[in-house]
Amino acid sequence: MKTGRRDFIKASGLVTASMLVPRLLRASDLGIPATGRSLVVIQMTGGNDGLNTVIPFTNDIYYKSRPKLSIGRSEVLPLNDELGFHPSLVKLKGLFDKGDVGILNSVGYPEPNRSHFRSMDIWQTASDADQYLTTGWIGRMMEAHKAVQPHFAVELDDALSLALKGAELKGLAMRDPRSLFANASQPYMQKIGTCNSVDHEHAEVSYLHRTLAEAKQSAAYIYETSKIYSSSVAYPEHRLGQDLKTIAELIVSGSSSKVYYVSHTGYDTHVGQQNKQRNLLKQYDEAVSAFVADLKKNARFKDVLVLTFSEFGRRVEQNASGGTDHGTANNVFVMGGSLKKAGILNDTPDLTNLDQGDLRYKLDFRQVYSTILEKWMDESAEQILGKRFDPLQFI
Amino acid sequence: MHLTQKQIQHLFLRTGFGETPDTVLQHRDLTVEQHVNRLFKFSEKGLDITVIENPVKNEKEVTDIKVLRMILRSKRKTEELNLAWIDRMAKTDAQLREKMTFFWHDHFATRVPMAYLAQLQNNTIRKHALGNFGELLHAISKDPAMLLFLNNQQNRKKHPNENFAREVMELFTLGEGNYTENDIKEAAKAFTGWQVNRLGKFEKNVAEHDEGSKTVFGKTGNFDGENIIEMLLEKKQTAKYICTKLYRFLVNHTEDAEFIERMTNEFYNSKYNIEHLLRFVLTSSHFYEERNIGCRISSPTEFLVRLLRTFKLRFRNDRIVLAGQKALGQILFFPPNVAGWNEHTDWIDSSSLLMRLRLPLVLFADVEMDLRPKDDGDNEEPEEEMSPGQKALLRWVKPESDWIEVLTSFQKLDDQKLVDSVIGSFIQCPSNCMDRNLILRSINTHDAEERIRSVVAHVLSTPEFQLI
Repeated sequence: MKTGRRDFIKASGLVTASMLVPRLLRASDLGIPATGRSLVVIQMTGGNDGLNTVIPFTNDIYYKSRPKLSIGRSEVLPLNDELGFHPSLVKLKGLFDKGDVGILNSVGYPEPNRSHFRSMDIWQTASDADQYLTTGWIGRMMEAHKAVQPHFAVELDDALSLALKGAELKGLAMRDPRSLFANASQPYMQKIGTCNSVDHEHAEVSYLHRTLAEAKQSAAYIYETSKIYSSSVAYPEHRLGQDLKTIAELIVSGSSSKVYYVSHTGYDTHVGQQNKQRNLLKQYDEAVSAFVADLKKNARFKDVLVLTFSEFGRRVEQNASGGTDHGTANNVFVMGGSLKKAGILNDTPDLTNLDQGDLRYKLDFRQVYSTILEKWMDESAEQILGKRFDPLQFI
Repeated sequence: MHLTQKQIQHLFLRTGFGETPDTVLQHRDLTVEQHVNRLFKFSEKGLDITVIENPVKNEKEVTDIKVLRMILRSKRKTEELNLAWIDRMAKTDAQLREKMTFFWHDHFATRVPMAYLAQLQNNTIRKHALGNFGELLHAISKDPAMLLFLNNQQNRKKHPNENFAREVMELFTLGEGNYTENDIKEAAKAFTGWQVNRLGKFEKNVAEHDEGSKTVFGKTGNFDGENIIEMLLEKKQTAKYICTKLYRFLVNHTEDAEFIERMTNEFYNSKYNIEHLLRFVLTSSHFYEERNIGCRISSPTEFLVRLLRTFKLRFRNDRIVLAGQKALGQILFFPPNVAGWNEHTDWIDSSSLLMRLRLPLVLFADVEMDLRPKDDGDNEEPEEEMSPGQKALLRWVKPESDWIEVLTSFQKLDDQKLVDSVIGSFIQCPSNCMDRNLILRSINTHDAEERIRSVVAHVLSTPEFQLI
C-alpha cells in the first residue's frame, strides 16, 4: 500500500517502540513477515575494467591488445565458450553456476562521456549524455512511489549520492544504523524543529523542520529494525563486507526500505592495474558471496535483486603504465533468487568494431533500469526515466 | 532609508559571508546608500589568488610527459587553491567581490585537471566579477580552462564539436528553448580553431578555423566567435536569464517576475554593467522586505565560510575544511557538471542536515565527529597512501579561535537577554519556532565564556540557522 506524505507524518513516532524484539538467529523464528522485494545497487566507482572482469578468453584481439595485462586462458574461470571470470571471482563463479547471476555485456549509452564524474552523473540521473538532471533515478522512483520516508532508499555513506535525490523526496545516507541514531537521537536534536506554528511565508523553515523530523524518524526506525536480526554469517572485515552485512541485516529484519545503495571504490586503474583489480574483485567476491549466503539462509534471496555497475569500462588496449585508460561500454551484473534468465544474457563484446579504441554500447543502461523499475519495483519506468526504454527479459 | 539590525545582517549575508555582531553594530547608523558604497569601496580591487605557480612559465616547449605530470599533481594543487579561496572568503574585506566571484564560479562551472588553469580562470572571473558581463563572457570564451573543459580543443573545421557553442547558449546566456539546434551547429563553426596551446594560452588556430559563411539567429556572415558573443549580448533574453539567476542567488529563490523585469531593464540598458545592477537591487526597498530575509538555504560554502568568518576559526589541519565541503556536497573547483551546483532545498537531505546541525556543537561544545568522505573515483593522482583508519581520523575538533573576543557584545547580558541577543545576531528567518527555554536550559555554568559558547552552539545547531 502506498501512503501519502501526510499520513506518514501523522503516524510518525509510533514505529519504534513496537520494534523492540529480542535477538534471535533466524528471521523466520521471529515471525518477521517478508516485506516484499528490495533492490541493492553496488556501484564500482572509478571505472572497473570489464574486459578483465568478464574475459573474452578465446579472442585474439583481446590478447594482442593487452600483452601485459591480459589474463591467461588457464587462469580464467570459464562461464561459456567465450567468456570467463577473473580468477578473483571464484565464489561468484559458484553463484553463476547455480543460476543466481546474470551478465549483461556492452552496456552503455550514446555519445559516451569518458570523465568519471560526468559519466557517473549520467548513470545516477539516467540522463542523456548532453542533458543535466538535478535528480537521480532512485530519487524519482521515491517520488513516483510517493514514498514518504527517507529510509525508502538507504545509502551506506556519510553523504547522499545524486542517484538517491528527488526534487522533493530524498533518501537516507548513513555509515551504519548505530552512528546515525547516535547523532539523530541526541537529546537536543530530539527537541529542536518540533514546532507546529511554522510561518507560511517562509516555506523553507517548514521544509527544514520536515526534513529533520523525517531524519529522526528514519534514524530511529532503521536503528530499531537493525537490532532485530543480527547476522551470524562471517563477512569480510573491509568496508564493502561490513556495508553488505548491514544491508542483509536490514533486509532480513524486515525493514520497509526498498533500495540500498553502496559504493566500492578504487577502480580507476591507470597504473598498476593487475594488483589493484585483483584485490578489489576479491573484496567484491567475498562480500557479495557472504551477502548471498546470508540471504539464502534466511530465505530472502528470492526477494532481492542486486545490480552491480561502474560508470564506464576501460580502453581495450592497455596503456604504457601497466594499466588501462577510461573507456565506454561495460558489463553489468544482476543477481538474485528470482532471475527469470541467468548466465550470459547477450552477445560477447565486439572487439573488432570499436569507437576510438573503445567498445560500442549494445544495451542502453536505462533499459536495465527500466527492467528493474517495471518488473521488480512495480513502478512506471517511463514516468521515472522520462521516456520509454525497452525492458529486458532477465526478470 | 536606515536599516534594522536584521536588514544589515541580511545585506552582509547576501553580499558576503556574514560579519561579526560587532561589525554589524558598528555600521548601524549608515544609510542604505552608505552601506552599498562601503561594500563597493572595499571591493574596488580584485586581488589575484597566486598559490599555484605557472608550471610552464620558463618553458618554450612542453612535452606530453610534462603535461601528464602536471595533470597528476593537479588534484592536490587544486585543493590548495580551494583552501586559499576559502581563506580569502573568510578573511577579506572585499566580500562583495568574492561573493560575486563565487556566483560566477557556479555560473561558468568548470572542472579542469590543471590547477594553474583553474586559478587563472578564477582570477579572470574575479577581475570582471563586478564589472561588465559582456567583457566577462568574452574573457570566459577565451579562457583556457573553459575551452578544455567544453572540448573546444576538438572543435575543428572539418569536425566541429558543438559542446562549447551549446553551453554558451543553454547555460551561460539564453537558457534552454531560446535558440535552435541549427543556431548551435552554425555557432560551433564560428568557434572552430579556438584553442589552448601547450603553454596554456589561448590562441586562434587559423588552420582549423572555418572561414565559411554561417547563419545564426537568422543572420548570415563569416562570423568569428566574438561576433557570436556580441549577438548573444544583443538579445535581451541574456539579460533576463542572468537577472533571474542572480535574483535567486541574491534576493529570493522564489522568483518575482515584476522585480526581475526591472532588473533586466537596468542590466540591459546599462550594457550589462554588473555594478549598476547590484546597486539597483541592493538599494531597492524590495531587497529589504521581510519575505526576502532569511529565506535562502545557505549553500555548503556559504555555511562553512560563515562559521569560519564570524568566529575566526582556525584548524590545525585545514584539510578538514575540504572534508567538510565534501560531506556537505559542494567542493569549490569541482562542480558536478557544467550546469553548476544544485540550489536551495537540493542541499538538504536527512544526512546533510544532521551534519549541519551537529557541526556547531562540535565546534563550540565538546562533541566529536569524524568524517569518511566518499571517494569520487578519480584516482589519477598517485595516491598518498592513506589507510581507511587514517582517513577516519580526519576529525572535526574544537578549533583555535579568538571568537570570544568576537562576541564581546554578549558579555554582560543575563541569560535571557543573552539567548535573545544571540538569536537576533544569527537567526534571520522568523524565530518564533525556536525554543528559547531549551537553549536557556543548556546553560549549565556561570563561567562567562562557557555560557556564551553554549548558547551560540545551541542557537547555531538549529534548522533556522541554515537560512540566510
